[in-house]
Amino acid sequence: MTITKSDIEHICGLSKLNLDDDEVPIYLQQMTDILEMIEQLQSADTNEIIPMAHPLDMHQRLREDIVTETNHRDIYQKNSSHVEEGFYKVPKVIE
Amino acid sequence: MERFTVKAIQNMLSEKQISATELFDLYRSRIADYDQSLNAFITSDIQPNAAYMTDDQDQESPIDFALTGIPYAAKDIFCTQGIKTTCGSKMLENFIPPYDATVVRRLKTQGAVLLGKTNMDEFAMGSSSETSYFGSVHNPWDIERTPGGSSGGSAAAVAAGLTPIALGTDTGGSIRQPAAFTGITGLKPTYGRCSRYGMVAFASSLDQAGILALSAEDTAIFLESMAGFDPLDSTSVEESVPQYSQYLEENIKGKIIGLPKEFFDGSLGSAYEALIAESIDSYKKLGIVFKEISLPNIGYSVPTYYVVAPAECSSNLARYDGVRFGYRSQNIEDLDEFYRTNRQIGFGQEVKRRIITGTYVLSTGYYDAYYLKAQKVRQLINQDFARAFESVDIILGPTTQTAAFKLGEKIDDPVSMYMNDMYTISANLAGLPAISHPIGFVENLPYGLQLIAPHFKELDLLSLTHQYQKVTDWHQAVPRLLQSSEGND
Repeated sequence: MTITKSDIEHICGLSKLNLDDDEVPIYLQQMTDILEMIEQLQSADTNEIIPMAHPLDMHQRLREDIVTETNHRDIYQKNSSHVEEGFYKVPKVIE
Repeated sequence: MERFTVKAIQNMLSEKQISATELFDLYRSRIADYDQSLNAFITSDIQPNAAYMTDDQDQESPIDFALTGIPYAAKDIFCTQGIKTTCGSKMLENFIPPYDATVVRRLKTQGAVLLGKTNMDEFAMGSSSETSYFGSVHNPWDIERTPGGSSGGSAAAVAAGLTPIALGTDTGGSIRQPAAFTGITGLKPTYGRCSRYGMVAFASSLDQAGILALSAEDTAIFLESMAGFDPLDSTSVEESVPQYSQYLEENIKGKIIGLPKEFFDGSLGSAYEALIAESIDSYKKLGIVFKEISLPNIGYSVPTYYVVAPAECSSNLARYDGVRFGYRSQNIEDLDEFYRTNRQIGFGQEVKRRIITGTYVLSTGYYDAYYLKAQKVRQLINQDFARAFESVDIILGPTTQTAAFKLGEKIDDPVSMYMNDMYTISANLAGLPAISHPIGFVENLPYGLQLIAPHFKELDLLSLTHQYQKVTDWHQAVPRLLQSSEGND
């Protein structure tokens, strides 16, 4: 699989990541090498094999639907420098 | 300069040869004197919780808790309440968690005292501790070499005697490989054995908290306090926790260790092969029986991992947008540009590489060929192990291809760096517990051996390693950094 500059741009759009212009060729080369290494998987015979999402045979555990947490907003918001009246401030979204 | 084991410290404290405060200060001053050449710590100015410093000489009450007064270090990926937790990244440079990770809380409850937060590859992505925003970690055996990664800070700190024991995490070998490179013992428990609550997520189906220590005995002492079901971690398993430290002398005669022919295909250098052969002899003298086995799909480990782990990482790192926490750029007016710039500046190259790889393999048109395929190959590898464990109790192999490489040697060649994990990755893919312990030296650099066990059979790993360590002394060799020091502490 050859990866192109426009693939990288598309991926950066999906993952919300900017790259410097002069970095792009380096990432492109490295991604090409990585994908070449990953390509080895294609030679594995996985006919009728169930995909493994989790290392153990487990069910997703659910808990009782009761309230266990209390409001700690002030403590949690200490890690943002842009808080006002309990809101996180971001660039304008609505015109 | 002596490296005290946890076991020795427990004796020293209970016999009142030293107080908890004196011990803490001892390690604090070692960090101050030696960490400049290692860069093993990101934070080391933590104030000990006075409640656990039961050092009042007049106190008659016995030491109540399993780990009272035992100092330890934690990889900077574990949330520690009120104490900066950076994951080795600019993105979390100033992040102060409002809560403790469960394993940290459990150790605290047992009286252990946090000395510092150790340096690591950024967000645990790396095999050399060179991708940290806070600079590379150096190996105390040769400071021009890597201590391995991503738990390199923890490994270097334990090997250099700056802490008796440390927590690490292992997603593809990040405890075992640094343990091998620094001549210490490193355990990755079974997936689900230790809680991941408060452990910053990299790859959620692979990550596991574990221990780097001077011996299997010390590892056992800490594991029994850390492990166990946690309702706050939905992948935590309800499996009882044995008192590992009480059963290390269990009878191991007649246990069967499998040697995968794929691990012994002649590609290891002869000096390394010779060390492994010697340790197999040592195990034979302990009554262990060896058998050749095959793990036919093990060669797919690295490509499988480098699809699954980046995919999970790209999802887990989506939360770093600069809004609620993390690096935030100023004066950007467009929301999309705001996100993109925060992540461009907050993340380093390896992290970006893995986000790009992960996003790619999950994207429309590529999901089936890459991610789904990798999950199927993961199943093949898992089945190979299950089949092998029908006829053997433990599997043995190298931890790494070579001893520690030089800093800068592989950092510009990602695929070469990734190949470092070739022996360790499969245990993460199958969720199996695995340990690395030192078995000798090649050109004055430590080398390790790996044992892999079935799920929840950590005791087998610990008892085998402990009994090996009773008849050998590789784990007691002290790095040059300490040999040249003339402190009499």
